[in-house]
Amino acid sequence: MGKYVLKRILLAFFTTVIILSLTFILVKLLPFDRPIGGDQQQIAYFDKQYNLGYVYRFKLVKDAPVVEEYNAKYGEYLYRSPVERGSCFYYYKVPVMEQYVSWVKNVVTKWDWGYSKSFQPNVAASVIIMNRIWYSMRLNIISVIFSVPLGLLLGIWAALKKNTLTDHTISTMVMIFISVPSFVLICFVLRIFAYDLGWLPSTWPADTATTWTKIKGYIIPVFCLSFSSVCYYCRYTRAELCEVMESDYLLLARTKGLTRRQAIVRHALKNAMVPIFPSILGEFIGILGGSMILENLYGIPGIGKLFILSLNYKDYDILFVDMAIFTTISLLAGVVVDLSYGFIDPRIRMGAKK
Amino acid sequence: MMDKEIRFKPDSFELVQSNIRITDKKLETKPTTFFKDAFRRFCKNKSSIVAAFILAILILLTIFVPVLSPSNITNVNVTERMLAPKLFESGTGFWDGTRKMERVVYDTVNEVPAVSDRYSVAALKNALVKIKVDEEPTPVDMANQYGVGGLVVMATDAAVDGKDVYMTSKAVSFTSQGGYRLKIDMDDEEGVQGSLLGEYRVFLKGSDGTEIVVRDFSTDYSDIDFDISKALADAGKTSLNAQIVFDLKSSADAFRYILIGNVELTAESGKNGEQLDNVSFDDATKMVLVANKDSEAYWACSGRKGVHNSLIYYCDYTIDTYELVYGNADMVTYSATDIKRWIDAGWCEYDEKIGPESFVRLTDDCPIDEVVEQSVNSRTKKLNSVTGRGYNYRTMGYKTMPKFLLGTDASGFDLFKRSFAGLRTSLILGLCTAAFCFAFGLVWGAVSGYFGGNVDLFMERFCEILGGVPWIVVMTLAILHLGNNFFTFFLALCMTGWMATAHRTRTQFYRFKGREYVLASRTLGSSDLRLIFKHILPNSMGTIITGSVLMIPSTIYSEATLAYLNLGLQGVQSFGVMMSNNQQYLGLYPYLVIFPAVIMALMMVSFNLFGNGLRDAFNPSLKGSE
Repeated sequence: MGKYVLKRILLAFFTTVIILSLTFILVKLLPFDRPIGGDQQQIAYFDKQYNLGYVYRFKLVKDAPVVEEYNAKYGEYLYRSPVERGSCFYYYKVPVMEQYVSWVKNVVTKWDWGYSKSFQPNVAASVIIMNRIWYSMRLNIISVIFSVPLGLLLGIWAALKKNTLTDHTISTMVMIFISVPSFVLICFVLRIFAYDLGWLPSTWPADTATTWTKIKGYIIPVFCLSFSSVCYYCRYTRAELCEVMESDYLLLARTKGLTRRQAIVRHALKNAMVPIFPSILGEFIGILGGSMILENLYGIPGIGKLFILSLNYKDYDILFVDMAIFTTISLLAGVVVDLSYGFIDPRIRMGAKK
Repeated sequence: MMDKEIRFKPDSFELVQSNIRITDKKLETKPTTFFKDAFRRFCKNKSSIVAAFILAILILLTIFVPVLSPSNITNVNVTERMLAPKLFESGTGFWDGTRKMERVVYDTVNEVPAVSDRYSVAALKNALVKIKVDEEPTPVDMANQYGVGGLVVMATDAAVDGKDVYMTSKAVSFTSQGGYRLKIDMDDEEGVQGSLLGEYRVFLKGSDGTEIVVRDFSTDYSDIDFDISKALADAGKTSLNAQIVFDLKSSADAFRYILIGNVELTAESGKNGEQLDNVSFDDATKMVLVANKDSEAYWACSGRKGVHNSLIYYCDYTIDTYELVYGNADMVTYSATDIKRWIDAGWCEYDEKIGPESFVRLTDDCPIDEVVEQSVNSRTKKLNSVTGRGYNYRTMGYKTMPKFLLGTDASGFDLFKRSFAGLRTSLILGLCTAAFCFAFGLVWGAVSGYFGGNVDLFMERFCEILGGVPWIVVMTLAILHLGNNFFTFFLALCMTGWMATAHRTRTQFYRFKGREYVLASRTLGSSDLRLIFKHILPNSMGTIITGSVLMIPSTIYSEATLAYLNLGLQGVQSFGVMMSNNQQYLGLYPYLVIFPAVIMALMMVSFNLFGNGLRDAFNPSLKGSE
């Protein structure tokens, strides 16, 4: 078992490294966009980039013939600082593969993920992410707390009342709501509860709002986030439980004298949970990520919104870090789900021991 | 009961098949193929049939609506923007192109809702279906052109540090004989706009420097009735050219103000009327709004001049948006070339020498119903232009009053046509993606699953790495590198999509490749290709097809999602881009979001139900079971 776990984690780690490397190179290949702000800010930005090894810096005399030489060698310069005492700094782009090497060095030795260019100029990416990830996390934690038990309960209820009106109603609703795209759902919820009835705020309340407004501000996003996972768990639980209910061992349990309740609680639910539980763990990993659509539509300052903001600002360093987070979360969730299968399912657990 | 005895004799038996050869007989039951059986089982699933039916309608609409509908969805036409959805004739009260607006400022002068900045008053009056004006006006502390009454607030300003504030009228010539009287209504309401009442005085400031005090510095806010002529006589002057001045003392601790209701300057026997009007006012709101120095009742103020309790009437109204835009145009002027063109086309008859009476409308193409007047160049005696009355839609190039089932959006595009044109792009994108992923994933999965071993291991690792990248990252990178065009979307969606098909195919191959019939065929010497395509693939086809069909809605969803992230398709009609653009009008014009959302939701639900039906129909373990 230990060997399996180690192998799985190592494999996921290498996958992550490869994906992040590819993403980094692809992002760095994008056309360079000058940072916004005055010369002071630009110099600060470029000097930081120089220290991190992403640009070359040369002190040259303005319009000297050697500039042409450098231009021919490294491509057009990215930025030229104002002339001071007859000379100025020229900044050139480092080839992408060399930037990659610097990046690996920076991340491994200094845990330095780069700096914002235009979104929040010269603020470290890790700081920006840390400021925002908490919003996304809080929201996701609340929605997981609501959605998982609700989904499981609905699923169990539907399975126990299989082929009755209750079951059909639940299944139909789940079918419909699982098909409706999240942005459509958000539109309707916003329209009804924020505009028509006016009960809830129509955008995310500012940090200065009253506690009561803030609490009300959580309702729509939590509801929209929970919706699809409630449907998902309900459908999954129902399917699994229905299958278990028709199995031979449950029939055996009943024939040996267990009541229906005992049989369901001790045998059916336990077995049905085997494939469901890992996905719940995966969901808990997912709380780190933000829902881009929801955060964008409701104006939540989380990391999903950051993705769009950094895109709009063409702040690709921040975009890359955000992408890295989303990639890592999804891979991590995959590993946790796979491993927990091994721990929960006795068949796999015992099988691995042999 | 009596026992019956039955006796058999040898000749009562007869050999049945004595002279027939016993051979294999052809089965009399109808043979059924895998797909026929699946179809039969699919037909038993009612919800899937309904879904398939809805889907078929939607697909037919996406094919035909963009081709057949004449509406414009490419050139922005602002005049036709935001028309309400119209299915029934106007006046039915439901889905009839009318829009209900609530709490809109009411224009008391023209008796229409105060939206005439975009529409003419005549057009508004013509299009109003119902209007209900609030009986109780709402007092506001803001000078609005539709407000009436209230009190003038003359207040100290932060800019006038320590100095007195003056409010000065225009100059008027007073005489001691004219019986001039000045009446000023003052008010003493406290705490207006969070300030304090101030100490003030009122005086007449003569052009020669004389000051005649009307009320000296005081905090007396009672009304003023002052006989100017008498005061002039007392001061020993026969005439004086003077301005009326309010002087408000500033205070260091807080803003100060006084409230003036109205100013009335009268003279005996209507003398000097125009000049008096230059000073008098009885509507504080109107007075505060006068910004032009030369206008009547202009008062200059060195501090802040505001209004308190200006009354605004609000109204709820229902308006026929089509009548407003396309309806009776009151007076439209057309050039002589226009009318000549109409005459040449045989739309109307007109003789410029006779004048408007000679106008005869011949066909429906003619934009105007009657000519009201004509203008002729005084020198050349040639026709300059005619002014006529008719329907706007004719001048806009329509034969009849247009009707938009789902209304129009902010660019004046027909929402119905635009939705389906966008959906067409999405569907084409979905179909292309699904087809490519189906073909590529099938081959990949078949090779991986059939050969197993190292080949499989290598291919699986590759999929794992590529599949580990979230689709949004792949899409974003592709769009940033290649631009947001159709091809990029296709490429990126394929890149993330084919792995699902490959995985599904691989699983199926693992399941079937060890079966006896495959082994039997292999012992008979079948090649790998034959085994793959003739024996294993047909059995696993159902699941793979279902997966590929369900890829279409997920593609549509992805496209729309990207549009909401400002990465939408450009250069082609896109459903997602349309929806995300309309998102901002959710509060005011909900139909712009709700109708496309309903279409989208319907499409998704149908696709999923249809896919579920397909999956059940193709499920081999359900085969034969009813």
